[in-house]
Amino acid sequence: MGYSQTKNKQERSRKILQYSILIIVAIFMMFPILWIFSNSLKTLNGISQYPPKLIPDNPQFQNYVEVIKNSNTLIYLKNSIILIVGNTIGTLLSSAIVAYPLARMNFKGVNAIFAIILATMMVPTVTTIIPQFLLFRQLGWLDSFLPLIIPSFFAYPYNVFLFRQFFKTIPKSIDESAMIDGCTRWQVFTKILVPISKPIFITVGVLSAVYWWNELFTPLIFIDSENLKPLTVGALTSFKVQGATNLTAWNLQMAMAMIMAIPPMILYLFASRFLVEGVKTSGLKD
Amino acid sequence: MKKSGNTLKENLSAYAFLSPWIIGVILFTGGPIIVSFLLSLTKWNLLGQPEFVGLENYKFMFSGESDFANSLKVTILYTVISVCSSVIMSLFLAVLLNFKVKYISLFQFFYFIPAVMPSVVMAFVFKLMFNKELGIVNYMLTFIGIDNPPNWLSDNFWIWPTLAVASIFTYATGQMMLIFNSSLKEVPKELYEACDIEGANFLQRFFHVTLPSISPIILFNTVVATINSFNSSFTLIYPLTGGGPGNATQVLSLSIYENAFKLFDMGYASALAVVLFVIVGIITAFQFRLSKNWVHYD
Repeated sequence: MGYSQTKNKQERSRKILQYSILIIVAIFMMFPILWIFSNSLKTLNGISQYPPKLIPDNPQFQNYVEVIKNSNTLIYLKNSIILIVGNTIGTLLSSAIVAYPLARMNFKGVNAIFAIILATMMVPTVTTIIPQFLLFRQLGWLDSFLPLIIPSFFAYPYNVFLFRQFFKTIPKSIDESAMIDGCTRWQVFTKILVPISKPIFITVGVLSAVYWWNELFTPLIFIDSENLKPLTVGALTSFKVQGATNLTAWNLQMAMAMIMAIPPMILYLFASRFLVEGVKTSGLKD
Repeated sequence: MKKSGNTLKENLSAYAFLSPWIIGVILFTGGPIIVSFLLSLTKWNLLGQPEFVGLENYKFMFSGESDFANSLKVTILYTVISVCSSVIMSLFLAVLLNFKVKYISLFQFFYFIPAVMPSVVMAFVFKLMFNKELGIVNYMLTFIGIDNPPNWLSDNFWIWPTLAVASIFTYATGQMMLIFNSSLKEVPKELYEACDIEGANFLQRFFHVTLPSISPIILFNTVVATINSFNSSFTLIYPLTGGGPGNATQVLSLSIYENAFKLFDMGYASALAVVLFVIVGIITAFQFRLSKNWVHYD
């Protein structure tokens, strides 16, 4: 009796400690977003007020209206969505197809190919960007969405890797019995493997969407026209603060930031359980 | 005979599946690397024909006149700082998310959300938070008695801790957190039970059971974080510091961007790209030797 009471008491204080740590860290992690939200509702004077206030005196919801009305925000938004949709379709199609033989077929050179995929995973975009720029210039694709979308249809190594990890966890006997029944490899892939791999499709789809919502470097290089810029580039140039003392745009910039913060949050809420399921680490361990 | 026919067919269909990637590697990775090397031997401002200048670009790069030594130094510094802070933070968050308490998915939401924010957005808010006069960070510091807090974004030294904090809020951290989180769940329960019997405390359990069990994943994540730091350095640093103060955070990716697309010095920018590629190549080779610890090739 006494033993189990001390045990319960210990258990309770441990729970309280755990919750406290969890909450403190949650505040730390969420603070920048809270700060964006708080400042997006301030007036210009409110932002330069000292000490800074978390809850603004007189919330300025018209900051949001102004951001949407006064800049090209809606055009930027449309462009971001086009990039996301195009790239996600391309990525899912190509990465899943390429990952299939790596995970489930025995062919000559499989180890070498997988090694090259791991190696090219390491090559940063910036090291290959100049020849890519020249290639797209030659094709007449500059200042269009093509250089930003078409490469996705040729499978990015990291996504191939994620698909391979997932496909490896599905028993190979499924493929074999389907092939005895007369299915081709392609039919096995499209009719059997794809339908049971929903978590990895959603995971890679979400990762791709988030990546393209975030992407700054390639649009900065390939896009010139104002009406083709995605939100990242648009936000970067629209609310430029000139010099450290000129603070004119802070509140609008924060409203814009908040607008950019909401879609990934919603996407995460929708996809979180798949994200956890989709990340398979079992194939990485000895 | 039948068997080898099947093998040939199997090989052909495997390569048919692989063809998008093969074309992609030739067009967007392998080909460009060769072209970069050829361009690095020229002087070219995008107009007219490239002029062959041999190793002039490399000579200039390694001479005292160029900014290369500084770029290399800050690239390495940024890589080390961002890899350390994001790996340690993601492991810490994953450990917290393995607490056996209710509402854990709510905490996972809070911990992961900053990771999916665009870096541009984070750069905006960090500029505001770390602002010398208006910033909440310095306000909090004066609040706890630090009277003369640093000017984070305009100080050659304090910009680095700022970038370390910013790295915590990048996509890499969230991604690694998910991987750590799932690997922590795979640590055999019996090992923890044995620990409990011996009366080990939380830290002992962590250092004697958890860390050794997930060491291949730590290695994997460190490699992923290194790649990410090369790829994300531009997206984070360009809007946050623009390479400044002065050129204190002018990492190689920023240098390549400015030389190629602002100054149109394609030859020199290509030479920088080749050098960055060589650096990445060395890291890749190193990673391959280590990868025997975490990858099944079968």
